[in-house]
Amino acid sequence: MKILKLELLKLRKKTRSWLGPILVFWLIMIAYPLTVEFLQEKLEIGFFSVLWIAILISMMLAAEDIFTEDFNDGTLEQMMIKSSPFSILVSIKTLTYWMLIGVPISVLSFIFSFGTTENFSLSLMILPLSLISSYIFLNLFVLGNALSLNKGSVLGALITMPLALPVLIVLGKSLTAIQLDINFISFILLLLGCLSIIMVAIPLVVSYIIKAHLE
Amino acid sequence: MIKKFIHQFASPKTYLFQVDRFYHYIFYISLIIYVFSICWGLLFTPEDFVQGNSFRIIYLHVPASFLSQSLYAAMAIASATYLIWRVKLAAYLVIAIAPIGAMTTFIALVSGSIWGIPTWGTWWQWDARITSTLILFIMYLGLISLHNSFSNFEKADKLLSWLVIVGAVNIPIIKKSVDWWSTLHQSASITLTDKPSIDVVMLYPLIGSIIGFFGLVICLVLLSSKNQILIREKNKSWIKDYV
Repeated sequence: MKILKLELLKLRKKTRSWLGPILVFWLIMIAYPLTVEFLQEKLEIGFFSVLWIAILISMMLAAEDIFTEDFNDGTLEQMMIKSSPFSILVSIKTLTYWMLIGVPISVLSFIFSFGTTENFSLSLMILPLSLISSYIFLNLFVLGNALSLNKGSVLGALITMPLALPVLIVLGKSLTAIQLDINFISFILLLLGCLSIIMVAIPLVVSYIIKAHLE
Repeated sequence: MIKKFIHQFASPKTYLFQVDRFYHYIFYISLIIYVFSICWGLLFTPEDFVQGNSFRIIYLHVPASFLSQSLYAAMAIASATYLIWRVKLAAYLVIAIAPIGAMTTFIALVSGSIWGIPTWGTWWQWDARITSTLILFIMYLGLISLHNSFSNFEKADKLLSWLVIVGAVNIPIIKKSVDWWSTLHQSASITLTDKPSIDVVMLYPLIGSIIGFFGLVICLVLLSSKNQILIREKNKSWIKDYV
């Protein structure tokens, strides 16, 4: 709990790091109606695809400098020699980023969804999907950034982007399920299953990767 | 005895000499099998009732698809071996396999596209099998670029191995994509549990082409891994004697 508070405080002070991705998400969602004919039907056709991709890009930006500063100033080395397992510290760091970036983006997804579709129940179902998918994407990009720690975030994003694509496919299918009113819960369970594996496996792998960087 | 054999074979020196010893046999046997199977498939099997002669691309597409996934699985096993038992040769194999895996995946995608034009009326469809295979291809490219971005080989090997293991999650997705999603791509014709849905007249040359192609790709992996050993162990005295 103490570490979580500390990480939250650290991230809150780095305004650019948490506000930047939220603003990018906001801008994408605002820019979307400008690129299509301003008719309700036309807006709804591509809205959700743009929404998922906006979440993906925002999470990519969110994870951009998650370890860079700590790696450069030696904090990661100090964290590693602490008695608590390093993978837990990685989990807490990821959770902090998700709380300050992923959660607001998910709430914005709900608002934009309601604003576009004017369908409250559909928009309400988008909220858990956004929350889960943003956490999955964030974990994947954290992995990418850990791999390319001192090589720039573009390489990290490129190598982990393929892993995020199956999640996008599931998101697309779950939306179809919502619209056709069929078996939506199974998609949520599938995403939750993926998340539970990712939440455990990725911090563990990331901790080994950072150890390899510091060796 | 098996443990002794593995330890002996895991030495790059022993591996290199064993490769030199067996490479030619594997290459010529595989080449004969592949050429024989291809000729059998292209010239002597009857036309498909629905697809006509276009089905014959199966003798390239299926072996390439099968190998694109098998090579990734082999990379994942080699990565685990490297991370758990610190076997250097396993790390050499991982990076040796990556470009060949990318090549076979590319062949699978291109041959699938060519086959798609007469069969589906389109060369590309964003269905689960095709998209997941494209993801595999991008994964291979990502692995190669990650490894090339580090000048420290040991660090590059470790990071690459971790990414390969995480990326292995894509393999069951590709394999089961035709069952999990309603796809344009047909489901598997040959499975371990069920009777093949393909006629035996077409099945035998297909199995032959898979075995032959597999052997030829193994030869490429052997050559590529040999190159890796020569690069990485260049300062060892036995390499100087070998060269």
